[in-house]
Amino acid sequence: MSDAQAIPAPGARRAGAAWRAPPLALKVVAGVALLALWEAIVRAFAPTYVARPSGIALVLFKVLADAQFRAAAGATLWAVAQGLGISLVAGTAVGFLMGRVAAVERGLRYYVFSLFATPMVAILPLVTLWFGYNADARLAVVVFASFFSIAINASDGARSVPPEYLEVARSFRARPLATLYDVVFPASLPYLFAGVRLAAGRALVGAVVAEFFISIPGLGYYILFNSRTFKHNEAFVAVIVLVAAGVGFEVLVRRLAQRYLPWARRA
Amino acid sequence: MRTARRWLEAGTVAASLALGAVVWEVAGRLTSGAFWAPLSTTLASLGTLAASGALVRYAASSLQLYATGLALGIAVGAPFGLLLARLPWLRVALEDYIMMLYATPMVALIPFILSMLGFGFTPKVLVVFLFAVFPVLYNTVEGARSIRPELVEVAHAFRSSEWQLWRDVMIPYTLPFAMTGVRQAIARGLVGMVAAEFFLSPSGLGQMIMLGSQNFDTANMLAAILVIVVLGVLLMDFGRWVERRFAPWRRASE
Repeated sequence: MSDAQAIPAPGARRAGAAWRAPPLALKVVAGVALLALWEAIVRAFAPTYVARPSGIALVLFKVLADAQFRAAAGATLWAVAQGLGISLVAGTAVGFLMGRVAAVERGLRYYVFSLFATPMVAILPLVTLWFGYNADARLAVVVFASFFSIAINASDGARSVPPEYLEVARSFRARPLATLYDVVFPASLPYLFAGVRLAAGRALVGAVVAEFFISIPGLGYYILFNSRTFKHNEAFVAVIVLVAAGVGFEVLVRRLAQRYLPWARRA
Repeated sequence: MRTARRWLEAGTVAASLALGAVVWEVAGRLTSGAFWAPLSTTLASLGTLAASGALVRYAASSLQLYATGLALGIAVGAPFGLLLARLPWLRVALEDYIMMLYATPMVALIPFILSMLGFGFTPKVLVVFLFAVFPVLYNTVEGARSIRPELVEVAHAFRSSEWQLWRDVMIPYTLPFAMTGVRQAIARGLVGMVAAEFFLSPSGLGQMIMLGSQNFDTANMLAAILVIVVLGVLLMDFGRWVERRFAPWRRASE
């Protein structure tokens, strides 16, 4: 510190501090600049089939109106929704049991954590052995991808319930189910929301890799098929839908958390 | 009293692991070999693979891919995030797009990479890099956002040099967040590694799983999956350690 301070600071200009443009204008300018950069790089260096903003804009509405594309998007997003639903119910149940019953926690801890750490791609061949090359296999991969993050977060949440709450419930002679529903569940909601946000991202990835692997209609397969036939612009529309679904779900969960859990600041 | 409890806890864990091993073994013996292989057969396959040197070869190829992609992801993500900490206007301009890229399922880009770059090591490194870079960048930018402008103003008021500003404000405030990003990148990079080995040119542990499944050699396939599970657990523990080491006050949620 001392040696550095001996030198007078010549470069103490206030770089950037004087900038006072409205944030929205900045963001829009940056977005346009990024798209222009993408367009310029592809035009300069890449073959003509490579996706670029102007090409995507040309095919965007045609693809979105295409019945086959809509069916694919519906199939993927429906599988993700179903899988998330299954994981949410089963994962919360298992997580609460782990969080409140020590023996269950010790018995399942290593299984849940190691399967959480397993990349879902690695189990694709096993899942196809069990379920065949069909939509059930995709659903199984989505459930595998999302279940463990929900279970772990539910278990953390159930364990973090303040003991005083449980004591009050006990002194009012609350039945175990009532305690679970009225005390443990609301107290662990912030954790559950965090788990669901994480699970949704993983579920989308799970659905896409499953479609790559088993080649059933869906956004992942749409991307695979069209990029193989060098229709990158069309394929990229499917990527946009996936991103929109991911970001849309994220925004929805944040809104719900702000609306119904204003006390929870566990982002 | 306390040791008794500790023993009880260790006993329950050991019992659950033993039960899992028994269930694995019995399930393998009861079902057809095409669905599941007994634990003993799986471990025997693993032993054969290890003795022949194939396991080490596959694992080394995978780890080389993983380490290259992850290192590039951190080397690009963290400095860029730090730059955005120094230039708030650029951060405001870009942060929504970074969030969007962070939320993008990068696996969806693999077919594009395949048809543009083909087979080989570089496209696979690109996949791992894409999986790893955005968690680091996104979290570093979150750290940048947590720097209060007053701190920078005070530093300027005391005529801090550019280097002092970085050393005493920018880096200490963003590093813990960057480490959360590194932990996420460690986990996501592994998914990217296996996905690249599956869907680009087959290689490494991913190829080992594929070979087992193509030859209907379930024991070999389970052995390869087991190696990846163990690798995943070790890497996740390592990531948690890294994060705690640099940021003891932040808690893991991914």
